[in-house]
Amino acid sequence: MSWESAIEELRHREGLAHRMGEEVKVARHRDAGKLTVRERIDALLDDGSFHEVGAISGKAEYDKDGNLVDFRASNFIMGRGKIDGRTMVVAGDDFTVRGGAADASIHEKQVYAEQMANQFRLPIVRLIDGTGGGGSVKSLEIDGRTYVPANPGWDWVVENLSTVPVVGLALGSVAGLGAARAVTSHYSLMVKGISQMFVAGPPVVARVSGPITKEELGGSEIHTRNGAIDDEVESEAEAFERTARFLSYLPSSVHELPPRGPVTDDINRRDESLISAVPTNKRKVYKMRKIINSVVDQDSFFEIGRNNGKSAITGLARLDGWPVAILANDPYIYGGSWTADASHKVTRFVDLANTFHLPVVHLVDNPGFLIGLESEKAGTIRHGARTLAALYQADVPWCSVLIRKAFGVAGAGHMNHSKLFYRYAWPSADTGSLPIAGGLEAAYRAELEASDDPEALLAEIEERLTRVCSPFRTAEAFRVEEIIDPRDTRPLLCEFANLAAPLRKTGPASVPYRP
Amino acid sequence: MARKEVKSEVAGTVWLVETKTGASVQEDDTLIVLESMKMEIPVDAPCAGTVVEILVAKDDPVEEDQTVAIIETS
Repeated sequence: MSWESAIEELRHREGLAHRMGEEVKVARHRDAGKLTVRERIDALLDDGSFHEVGAISGKAEYDKDGNLVDFRASNFIMGRGKIDGRTMVVAGDDFTVRGGAADASIHEKQVYAEQMANQFRLPIVRLIDGTGGGGSVKSLEIDGRTYVPANPGWDWVVENLSTVPVVGLALGSVAGLGAARAVTSHYSLMVKGISQMFVAGPPVVARVSGPITKEELGGSEIHTRNGAIDDEVESEAEAFERTARFLSYLPSSVHELPPRGPVTDDINRRDESLISAVPTNKRKVYKMRKIINSVVDQDSFFEIGRNNGKSAITGLARLDGWPVAILANDPYIYGGSWTADASHKVTRFVDLANTFHLPVVHLVDNPGFLIGLESEKAGTIRHGARTLAALYQADVPWCSVLIRKAFGVAGAGHMNHSKLFYRYAWPSADTGSLPIAGGLEAAYRAELEASDDPEALLAEIEERLTRVCSPFRTAEAFRVEEIIDPRDTRPLLCEFANLAAPLRKTGPASVPYRP
Repeated sequence: MARKEVKSEVAGTVWLVETKTGASVQEDDTLIVLESMKMEIPVDAPCAGTVVEILVAKDDPVEEDQTVAIIETS
């Protein structure tokens, strides 16, 4: 006698689970242009590396003699696998079984996946393609009662934000609890056309405000612009590629340091174009992303959240192979001013860097918080104040390069001024409490009103003040430590990354990450 | 042929209109320059094509996300 027959039954049950939902539902899912959950897992992970946990969980039916006659797999598939050789937890909804509804998932599996990530200190990737947590209102009749709602495993979901990298991929129509699982992450993605996200879907919304399509209500165009989701991609394959790339910059948990990548670029590379990257005419804008790509290791810049809070640019990159967080302003958008949206984006980004011990490089061209009625209505100062708090609470090495403007409270937020951090100024640096162009009329009102030729006087005062604003005068007083040749920026940033590497500290951040 | 709306990413005032109806443009060519936050902010062509409509004139106020021109792609 042996246990061979039990192993045969185990394999049989695994086979039943691999069928996923009914054939017609799997076909419909593929016809909608979507991969099945098992295809997704295979595409995301290194070949053959998936080790499923709870592979035979589901709902079985037996005949009167106790023989298994039917089986419906749980619609939540999870386990461990590798991405680029590093072990991760992967957890995916199976939309072909009950539309991915959590009431068919065996919710303990969701809790287990989150707990496994936390306690084994492994990053977790959620492949979300399901409806809300409670299922339909039909469950009222099935259960004969209602309940007080609770989000299963939310303690671990929240704890994971401060412990391990979490990626949320919205890969279908994602509502309620699924939507919350997508955004309670460090990085989230939607696939154009096949992903939609909402608190409640069109049938529920239609009862309140009329008919609306899924895409109109919660397409990627909406959620990557409001910042609920970080980025949108063209295909599921691209979503998996970006997931792997995002994770490559981060440690497996806060108890480790970000791994150094391959050293692919010369640390002494000097880009000649940088000497003319910033126009001498202060009213003219320039492409900040060109500067970023020029100074970091070639092709290493991974931008996050390009469609949201656009006056701020955030992303991960490498300097001499060391992963760093890059923060910058985009002068094309309100001159680079921090809006409410940009402030929120920067807060999350600084928290990300602080959580995972990434040194920050800040390329500064910040005229201040955005001014005007719309900005006031958006509560910009509250969001901006949170950004400043995040920045002062961060405990990672920091280097700021004053590319052009640093004005007012937001400009002062280019670094925590109380710490000895690295700071360089390009000759184009233009700093102070208020840009000359913005404050001239107010400051010299009396003189201008008394003048016979206010326009000529205005030009004369402006010329006078512009001379005083030279960064050389600021450096004379040691208010900026060094003015550098822009072409030396990469060598200096690589030096910073190498000096910062041994200063990085493992362990949980003093401020827990919030989504 | 497809009509592509050219939108402003910022609120501001039209400073210069640098194109004409019927002009053939390449991707990233500057069509309109806005003044916003005392800066000259270009609104560039998102794709190559022919400018079929210009919906703003000098000194017009422009809202964020407002369509300022239409390009017909070939």
